[in-house]
Amino acid sequence: MSASGFVAAVGRALDAGASAMTWEKVARARGAGYFQRHSEDVDDFGFDPRFDAAVQPFFELLYTLWWRVEAFGIENVPAEGGAIIVANHSGVLPWDGLMINLAVRHEHPARRQCRMLALDMFALLPFFAPFLARTGAVRANPENGERLLRRGELIGVFPEGVRGVGKPYRDRYKLARFGRGGFVRLALRTGAPIVPCAIIGAEEVHPKIGGMDWVGKPLGLPFFPITPTFPALGPLGLVPLPSKWSIEFAEPVAVDQHGPDGADDPILVSRLSEQVRGTVQQMLDRRLARRQSPWFG
Amino acid sequence: MTAGRIAVTGIASFLGSRVLRALVEKRGADALVAVDVARPDTALGVRHRAVDFTEPSSGEQLLEALREEKVATVIHAAALTNPSRDGSFAHELESIGTLNVLAAAAAAGVGHFVLRSFTAVYGAHGRNPAYLTEDRPLQPNLSLGWARDKLEGEQHAASFARRYPAMKIAVLRFATLFGPGVRTFYTSIFDHRMVPVLMGYDPLIQLLHPDDGLGAFLAAVELRAEGAFNVVPSRPIPLLAALHLAGKVPLPVPHPIAYPAADLLWAAGLADAPAGFIDFARYPFLGDGEKARRELGFTARHSSRQALEAYLRDRHPKASMTTAEARA
Repeated sequence: MSASGFVAAVGRALDAGASAMTWEKVARARGAGYFQRHSEDVDDFGFDPRFDAAVQPFFELLYTLWWRVEAFGIENVPAEGGAIIVANHSGVLPWDGLMINLAVRHEHPARRQCRMLALDMFALLPFFAPFLARTGAVRANPENGERLLRRGELIGVFPEGVRGVGKPYRDRYKLARFGRGGFVRLALRTGAPIVPCAIIGAEEVHPKIGGMDWVGKPLGLPFFPITPTFPALGPLGLVPLPSKWSIEFAEPVAVDQHGPDGADDPILVSRLSEQVRGTVQQMLDRRLARRQSPWFG
Repeated sequence: MTAGRIAVTGIASFLGSRVLRALVEKRGADALVAVDVARPDTALGVRHRAVDFTEPSSGEQLLEALREEKVATVIHAAALTNPSRDGSFAHELESIGTLNVLAAAAAAGVGHFVLRSFTAVYGAHGRNPAYLTEDRPLQPNLSLGWARDKLEGEQHAASFARRYPAMKIAVLRFATLFGPGVRTFYTSIFDHRMVPVLMGYDPLIQLLHPDDGLGAFLAAVELRAEGAFNVVPSRPIPLLAALHLAGKVPLPVPHPIAYPAADLLWAAGLADAPAGFIDFARYPFLGDGEKARRELGFTARHSSRQALEAYLRDRHPKASMTTAEARA
């Protein structure tokens, strides 16, 4: 008798008592409900088109009405083949990844999907993990990135990682270190071009003015933010503030002339990494200088 | 016999018995010898050498058997799919037993050795890449005897491959077998109506149709393959989708409760598997089938979903269609 057998035995007892609600009906209803929101077949990384279609309207609302996202230079994203979008990360929660994906999906003529590579802090979290996978995100690691690029997919990475998403408000729009250049090695190994991308507006959605990181530790979180609204307003404090966003894509940086062996050259990797970081920082600085208000652009 | 016989162990196991039967059909009964405590089906007319791998003297008996039967190929399929309550028996069989069979085969001058292993030997971890290639270090949950013994079996095989290059060793890491005729602790989960799952987790799983498993085994024997190979279905399926397709009612359990509860039920004899197995329903351990495709020419003809549906049609001919009808 197994653990589930034990539960099933309890179920059988219930079954005998309540004839109106049979297990068959419960299972049927649960199954039908589940497949209204989930596909029966997902792709190799768990992308579930039906689930994605069910949740997208909410994010589209955020994109159009809440943050009034404007996309610039979308034509710089290649229409086909593997490519890496490299962007600044900010805003405590990974809203920026979702918005990049929407920008590419809705504003690019090829209607491409951008597979965001998610940080471990999100990709390993219960509830977040299946949600991210079903909406097309993939846990960030070199093997997954390479597999996606070799399949000709467009991927999005945030090389700042946790240092970016958890940065305090006073450091907003100052790019943190770009990891160890993993995205450059990925590009060199696969020959995929790098598209630098700057996101303005995401730093203001959850302005992090302090941290209680010890609270996050038992939950497996690398940081626990204090914002003007969180945790003071409880779950309501997680409602992102309606800043005005713009997303700009720069011209792709081609790396295929270096060949796959370039990935083993740390000097080349760090030079390319710095070049991309500089491009993103320049775009940020230029847009920030022109911005009059975080809320109205 | 010029080519030498093929010895098959673990002939009472699902895969072992299938392999033996298929090889008898292909090469004739005289080309085979069953080495096992269990007797092969007399209708097969296969020679039988009774050896208990858990006996200390099994090495000698094996060597004698392999020499006398002029064995050129050993298929070692004696592995436990279900967790055993007798930890020392499982250890003697899977770790020491595999060591004994390897030693006897090397001493008898066997040219090709095929070991049945499991993708579970990679271990289910949150940090696993989506697909594990054969060069991935094996990191099973070491507190789980079931996985530890299999890891040791693989380690013995790797060490023999280094020391006795004359004996080619193929290690086949099979995904979870699922299909008509398969009865394991894992398939029994799908025989209940309500199935506990971990709240907030929904990993992709791989269910391998037994016909595909058999095909990979035969290809490895035929090609005298060397090295490790993942034998996996053509496509994975999310755990929850599999349960709902099967018309199950998942019961979400928070993971801090699930582990101690599962260990209590296992200790009380109410569960089929200890808490260590929960990891396999929490984190991914998907094998990448590319190497088997490239070197064995093996491509699974069934997806995980097809394997599941074949099982349900066979086991629960009426119940399996309920959700499909409800959706239509």
